[in-house]
Amino acid sequence: MLSKNKTGWLLLSPTILILILVGLVPFFYVLYVGFFKWNPLAVDPSMQFEGFALNYRRLIFDEVFLESIWRSIKFSVVTLTLELTLGFLLALSLLSSFPLKSFFRSVHTLPLVIAPIVVGSIFKLFTVQGLGPLPHLLKDYFGYTLNYGLNADQAFWMIVIMDVWHWTPFVTLTLLAGLSALPQDPYESAKIDGANNFQIFVHITIPMMVPVLIVVIFIRLMDSLKIVDEVWMLTGGGPGYATRFTGIHIWKEVFEKRYYGLGSAMSILYLYITIVICWVLYSVMVSRGKNED
Amino acid sequence: MRKILFALVASIFSFSAMAGGHADWFKEAGAPYKGTVLQGVAENTPPGQFAGEVLAKEFEKLTGIKVQLENTSWDQMYDKAIKDMEANSGIYDFVYIEQDIVYDYLNRDFLVNITEGLANNPDLQAPGVSLDDFTTFIDYFKDGSGDVFGVPMEAFIKVYLYRKDLFERADAKAQFRAQYGYGLTPATSFDQYRDNAEFFTHFCAAEGMECWGTTVQGHTGHPASTYEFLESIAPSFGLYNWGVNMDSYQSCVENGGQLNGGRAKAALNFWTQLLPFAPPEALQSTWSEVGSSFAAGRAAQGWVYGENAAWIATDAEKSAVVGNVGVMLPPTAPGVMTQAASGNGYIGYYDGGAYGIPHSSKNKEATMLWLQYVALNEHQADWAIAGGRITHKGTYADPKVMAVDEQADGYFTLMRDTGFLYAGAPPFPFHGAGRGAIDPFIYSALAGEMTPEEALDGACQALDTVMSDLGYQN
Repeated sequence: MLSKNKTGWLLLSPTILILILVGLVPFFYVLYVGFFKWNPLAVDPSMQFEGFALNYRRLIFDEVFLESIWRSIKFSVVTLTLELTLGFLLALSLLSSFPLKSFFRSVHTLPLVIAPIVVGSIFKLFTVQGLGPLPHLLKDYFGYTLNYGLNADQAFWMIVIMDVWHWTPFVTLTLLAGLSALPQDPYESAKIDGANNFQIFVHITIPMMVPVLIVVIFIRLMDSLKIVDEVWMLTGGGPGYATRFTGIHIWKEVFEKRYYGLGSAMSILYLYITIVICWVLYSVMVSRGKNED
Repeated sequence: MRKILFALVASIFSFSAMAGGHADWFKEAGAPYKGTVLQGVAENTPPGQFAGEVLAKEFEKLTGIKVQLENTSWDQMYDKAIKDMEANSGIYDFVYIEQDIVYDYLNRDFLVNITEGLANNPDLQAPGVSLDDFTTFIDYFKDGSGDVFGVPMEAFIKVYLYRKDLFERADAKAQFRAQYGYGLTPATSFDQYRDNAEFFTHFCAAEGMECWGTTVQGHTGHPASTYEFLESIAPSFGLYNWGVNMDSYQSCVENGGQLNGGRAKAALNFWTQLLPFAPPEALQSTWSEVGSSFAAGRAAQGWVYGENAAWIATDAEKSAVVGNVGVMLPPTAPGVMTQAASGNGYIGYYDGGAYGIPHSSKNKEATMLWLQYVALNEHQADWAIAGGRITHKGTYADPKVMAVDEQADGYFTLMRDTGFLYAGAPPFPFHGAGRGAIDPFIYSALAGEMTPEEALDGACQALDTVMSDLGYQN
């Protein structure tokens, strides 16, 4: 038994070592740095301890940081709602048969395999004023001026559209897998009882899909809260602060302004907020699921 | 591409010519390092492309030392280089040092003292390379004792480019005079610049042409816009060193600075009011897009980086305005030119950069050979033609450069004769942090979310906070 355990630990040890090195060590280092005032561009470039949790206390009053969090949450809620709605509709439609279904499913999945930075480039080429076809088409056919370098709302919604385009296929595929695996008995019973399609969807499909939905929501929520690459390429966080999500804000503070201590504190605080949001969401969904049972 | 090919062919000839001169020395000096691979990271500019595509290949052929130059975007270049030097990981053997960041790098002791390195290794000192051959631009890469920490590979000024074909049209001249009451000429004052911009925007629209009155490097999410304001527009209004009081490191007027003073506000007002007369892509344009917009014929005039001036004026494959490009000094406010001439001011940044060796490099000796190779006089003319840059005094007189100079409306001559009116960036070790504090306010002013006055009031407070936070204020 002991020897069996030893073999198990031996086989697991590379994974554990890698997890410690690339997961725990950086995490605790960032946690440690977050308690110091440290900017290598300063007169004194060394790490300085200036009171307990100074950076965290400073962040509580940092309007730009707090606004970036609010902006990120707003972005996540909007994209998540759109992606779940569209993804569910697409997944349901892919359950039924229609001509060129396989072709549509393949094409629809393509955005998933594109790197976020490339997605940003594609959207930039399509939408940038002067070069991109979209502003020309919108202007010529609808008289609408698209200039997200100037218009903060357009910039925000352009990033929402980009994210929805990029990640809805993920939601669709995951939900499709869940829908395909649902047992058929409850549906047959419901039909015998005279339930219509809407009633079946609300009272049978949705409750049975809750576990899959929780997974999808968590993955997409965490991803959307840490969005950087696509935004970086498309708007750079502008105009002004309009698309300066927390990930971009932290990057700018750490790598442009070199506020390593403050930036580390921001990262930890943001991680904490993300965990809290996920925990609240999880609790709500699980308790609702239990009530419906 | 044709320019690069031309340069490649030309450089093969110069390579052959060099064979009897320094080639043998480099071959011999490089022998111990044969097979070494040097990694470099630099900004993807025309001069950087020439170094990577032409000089690196020649150097490898001669010495067996392979140079892999990663030419990437400005942000990525800094990101990669600084992370490598901070972590002391030794990925890069040489890095691009932009003139404005050199004070930061020196302050943090990132760079190898090249003067000292060569003095300690006389065997590595290449014949035909002399610091005296460089223009005074090399001074920006020296420390207090005069030791060199970077070998200049590009240097240029930001000039006023204008479309000769548009400015010389008889109907345009007549309409302009009727509308504004004076003759249409390239701008020498800000009022004239604005009038020209307004006029050509309407003129082009009426003629059905896709062109506007002026370029504006106004990306609302990229530091390029802050740079255009701080290094071109503001100095030409007489606001130097970002409006920072160099004794007290304060930038707000109430504390002795000038960043939210009258000149700064006049400059930002002038600049943001040009936006209606700029191509629609202006608010998403960095330096590269400004060059491309002008080359595509989409602007009648503008502040354009010199690294782009030569190809815009001469490369018919990439530029639609070849033969129609006029080059002048940008307009300035009264008194600024006098201050610049006397050394008490400047009309814009003398831009450019150098290759330096990080302490973390694992191949310092081989890299020193490479840096001296790029500094050879033999390469300078072709490099100047390909990249619009000049780092050596003798390059101006090269027949090939003079021929291009003529095509480019005297851009190189202008750089030689008026370069002294320009100056490098202020010696701020906190450059990145300071600029990062100002950025959002410039973006907001350009996007119309703040008035120029509000933006500069906010910018100076943010900058003062950073300078105080970093311990620079007395």
